[in-house]
Amino acid sequence: MPVTIDARGLACPQPVIMAKKAIEENEQITILVDNDMAVENIRRLAVKMACGFSVTEKEGGVRDIALVRTGATSQTPVDSEAIAADMSCAVVVGKETGPLVVVLSDNHMGRGDDVLGDILIRSFVHTLLQLKPLPDTVICYNSGVKLVVKDSAVLDDLQQLAKDGVDILVCGTCVNYFEIGDQLAAGHISNMYDIAETMAGAGRLLRP
Amino acid sequence: MEGQRYIVFLFPSVSYALKAEKILKAAGIAHKLIPVPRHISSDCGVCVRITEDKQQDVEREFLGKVGWDKVVLL
Repeated sequence: MPVTIDARGLACPQPVIMAKKAIEENEQITILVDNDMAVENIRRLAVKMACGFSVTEKEGGVRDIALVRTGATSQTPVDSEAIAADMSCAVVVGKETGPLVVVLSDNHMGRGDDVLGDILIRSFVHTLLQLKPLPDTVICYNSGVKLVVKDSAVLDDLQQLAKDGVDILVCGTCVNYFEIGDQLAAGHISNMYDIAETMAGAGRLLRP
Repeated sequence: MEGQRYIVFLFPSVSYALKAEKILKAAGIAHKLIPVPRHISSDCGVCVRITEDKQQDVEREFLGKVGWDKVVLL
């Protein structure tokens, strides 16, 4: 009779820790989880511990995972630290918390001195290209829209971001206000509905 | 510019970098002010990036107008 562990509702890394403990003590276990992160972590645990792994979808998003020891597991000491290091709570949590949105609300970075603020925003935008993963969306509003016009010092960086798949939303009202509609050279004109929705749906919002 | 090699000019301070930028703008030499790459240490956080082939032109422009610490190949 396989031992059944109920890990529903538990946060990472709790389910995988329970699974590890149980499979060390039993030949065969069943563990109930309710999130993808736990499934992935237990799948990796199974590989490390040379266990058979199968997952069955149940109602209400519950997954029923069966682990079966396939042989030498009990005699082979498994490095717990290596397993813990391999369990990724953070990565999946990041995905679940939504997109990374960068808000350029000014064509300077920080307050105090505009000459300095100009250098800083240029460094910031250039550095965005090196972020891993890249932001999902960049939103420009107020004087931030001046960063996407023809003579902007960061135009090449923003164009590269767009080429790399970053969505660049440019506030239409702001472009109209500054009368620079004919100079836009990156991103696409957007409206407050999209801007507010994108900001509200962000997992993380970066504002330099 | 694809595949082009870049060099950066490092300066003793931000104001030097700014002055250098003004000189290059006036001379019409393509350049970019970028953060000093992590692997290069510098007190001043920004540097001027140009394509490698422009080094002599740039040095000629800078001479007598602005000093620099060193030039590093990226």
